[in-house]
Amino acid sequence: MANTLRPYLTCIRNTLTAAMCLQNFPCQEVERHNKPEVEFKTSKELLLNPILICRNEAEKCLIESSINSLRISIKVKQADELENILAKKFLRFLSMRAESFQVLRRKPVQGYDISFLITNFHCEEMFKHKLIDFVVAFMEDIDKEISELKLSVNTRGRLVATEFLRQFT
Amino acid sequence: MAAGGVHHLAQCITCHAWNADMSMVAICPNNNEVHIYKASVSPNAVWERVYVLDKHEQLVSGIDWAPKSNKIVTCSHDRNSYVWSLEGNEWQATLVILRLNRAATSVEWGPQENKFAVGSGAKTVCVCYFEEDNNWWVSKLIRKKHHSTITSVAWHPNNVLLATTSTDSKCRIFSAFIKGVDARKDATTAFGDVKFGEELIQLDLACCWSFGAHWSPSGNSLAYVGHDSTIHFVTDVGPTPRARSLSLRHLPLRDVLFLSETRLVAGGFDCNPMLFGSDKNGVWEFISFLDEVKPPAETKTDTMFAAAKGKFKWLGSENPSEESTLSTTHESCITMIRPLVPLSERHPENPMTLFSTSGLDGRVVIWDLNNVGDALARLRL
Repeated sequence: MANTLRPYLTCIRNTLTAAMCLQNFPCQEVERHNKPEVEFKTSKELLLNPILICRNEAEKCLIESSINSLRISIKVKQADELENILAKKFLRFLSMRAESFQVLRRKPVQGYDISFLITNFHCEEMFKHKLIDFVVAFMEDIDKEISELKLSVNTRGRLVATEFLRQFT
Repeated sequence: MAAGGVHHLAQCITCHAWNADMSMVAICPNNNEVHIYKASVSPNAVWERVYVLDKHEQLVSGIDWAPKSNKIVTCSHDRNSYVWSLEGNEWQATLVILRLNRAATSVEWGPQENKFAVGSGAKTVCVCYFEEDNNWWVSKLIRKKHHSTITSVAWHPNNVLLATTSTDSKCRIFSAFIKGVDARKDATTAFGDVKFGEELIQLDLACCWSFGAHWSPSGNSLAYVGHDSTIHFVTDVGPTPRARSLSLRHLPLRDVLFLSETRLVAGGFDCNPMLFGSDKNGVWEFISFLDEVKPPAETKTDTMFAAAKGKFKWLGSENPSEESTLSTTHESCITMIRPLVPLSERHPENPMTLFSTSGLDGRVVIWDLNNVGDALARLRL
């Protein structure tokens, strides 16, 4: 299983390096406005082809790019019901605090678990290669975090059940 | 390193322009102001800021400095453009009536400095000239010819032809002949007698947005880049042009500069200027990158066994992500390349060896091709 992680992340890293070539672009539709074109999709010529990178049926990553913004949506592995609930709660916790992450989107794109929105302003303030490092490290850590959470939930459940049933023996 | 002086002036630089004798440079530090620095080409000089021009309300997207008349023209995302002239110790702004209803994206003085062109997000190009009677700059618009925002404008040396690139991926050449400003004889170009706003050529060579149009010193060739990592060279621009497109394996380019009829330098998202050259048959090829990039330090492994063991360890484990490091002079995209040779010293036989690049990392870097490594020096410019 770990064998597919490296190529998956390398593929995402290379795609992001190419897709994150963003520049400041004033809005064509409304004067004096500057909007992330990938969110509004008003002018078809400003959007690039979206790329979907799948590790397997359960895990995939959608990268949509435009002239001044980039949207990355990730679907994390959810093997059973427990992981489903844990992933949902954990990612919702992070998304609610999207302000402090700056590049996180408050609501994931339909069909995915979490989304990033990176604009040209982020690229001007931060290094592009560091942003890519952040996204890739995030994807690696998510899996680890959810596994750890699942382990601790199971451990706690077992301890509580043992203690409770002890009184009946 | 082929780089001369490196000057970190702001967090991010949108555009820059040099004056006639290369003693001052005007930059926009990614806000609504234009800063003018007293500059010098020597690598150890420290540049000091002497003027701040702040009439615009939004980001200044284009600056051009006319060498002979010493006027600066700026355009901004607030739909306005100003022409600045130095009176005494102050820069006075004159508003230009552009009649635009969207942001202006790029501006360039014509070679004779009696006109300038402004590209905009309103899908129109404004060609402005000075009207003596009313003492202001008025514009004539080229409308309905572009399908999307215009990203750059470039004047042909004959002051009549204008090349534009746009986010609809096309490069177009128009006639910008204005009755009363241009002499009748200037109107006869390679295309014959053409009136204002007529689209002479439409180049559809790129598959994605096009940027950075630039004419060669004689006006015989035109080059522009596409966001699909291509660069296009058009020679014998006239009714029957010849074009050569190169697809590159690197990140897209943003701006180009002709150093001579056969040498061109281009910069973009790779943060490394690229040199292109054409041979005697007129075929353009990529020559090399100009920034000598130091390879990242490699961890040494003493024996083959240790190296093999390391390989297996890396494959299986959750490897902490490799620390990416930068090794180019520019740390972010190069957005503008300007020549650093005064107009009076430019000669058709002498290719330019000095130019400056500015980028989104806030640096203005001076490049001197005379300092470039041996391999490149052997390729005579």
